[in-house]
Amino acid sequence: MDPILQSLMDLAGVTAVLVFDSAGQLLGHRGHTVYDQGLCEQVSGALAKALDAVQLQQEDWETVTAHFADGKLVLRRVIANGQTHVLTVVADATLNPSFATVAIRVAAGKLKRVLEGGPASSGVGTGSSAARAGSSSSPAPSESRPNLANSGLSWSKISNVGLSRVSVADPASGAFLARCAKELAQHVGPIAKVYVEEAVRRVSPETPFSMAVARALIDDLGAQIEDAADRTQFQKALAKA
Amino acid sequence: MADLALIARIPSVASAVLGDLAGGFYDAIREGDGESVASVAAFVSSALAGAGEELGLGALHRVGIAGEKRALAVVVLGNSVVIARIEPAASLAAVERALDAAVGTGG
Repeated sequence: MDPILQSLMDLAGVTAVLVFDSAGQLLGHRGHTVYDQGLCEQVSGALAKALDAVQLQQEDWETVTAHFADGKLVLRRVIANGQTHVLTVVADATLNPSFATVAIRVAAGKLKRVLEGGPASSGVGTGSSAARAGSSSSPAPSESRPNLANSGLSWSKISNVGLSRVSVADPASGAFLARCAKELAQHVGPIAKVYVEEAVRRVSPETPFSMAVARALIDDLGAQIEDAADRTQFQKALAKA
Repeated sequence: MADLALIARIPSVASAVLGDLAGGFYDAIREGDGESVASVAAFVSSALAGAGEELGLGALHRVGIAGEKRALAVVVLGNSVVIARIEPAASLAAVERALDAAVGTGG
């Protein structure tokens, strides 16, 4: 778990990272010196109670972001083995929200695998916690990339973070996804690739993405663009594909 | 005091509730159970504010709660709390910006 937490600590503006369970028990933490174990345990308990209340109004909550005068708290739900865990990032005002969103999403995916007893990714989250303790290494971006060699999907010109696995039916479908992410990035920024991955899971949840559901994907992604003119431009650009 | 009608007119705001940090309920638009929403939002805001204080983050301004299909935005204005239910969830960021403009916060 420690390398995952450390990878978030490496983000500009992040001052502490906590993982706790639904009962508020602290499972792991990293942070600047002032965020000692006692403080983190205390905060975990308070946050768990807050999330219990959140659950009453928003049972399917995924992320809670609290904006303070001098910083932010980002809480990301991680369900592993049917149990809710919470990845919490404490940051000052210099945090880049877009980049942090992607990084937290990636870290949450790795944390889920660790909590479920599997490896986070190649070279991450394996071995005993004692062996991992103190390690400040974070995975190179390439280590968290899906194997897309046979898919025709290339993300290299879009971004190098925020990747999770998507499967495609053929190289043309992969190329189309890459184009979607590139076009969408012009309107929503670096989180575009994450949006594309999520949209693929929505429009083609059971089978590899294919051009048969391309129209549905464009419509789904268009909903991520607030400005109507931008949305039309995005849809027109992809309609040419 | 926030103008709830103005907030309820923000695109993608499905309902809006006005309460206070003590759990009091003042008003609601398109929300059937405003009292519950206000009390839960007050508790969440108070708990997060307490955690933020412990962590040295200063005063709590705003909370965004995102789910798969819908979201909630909670804005703290002194002792008052404004809660907006947002559908779809993807509109959360846009609504938060509109809320900041509507209630005059920059949080």
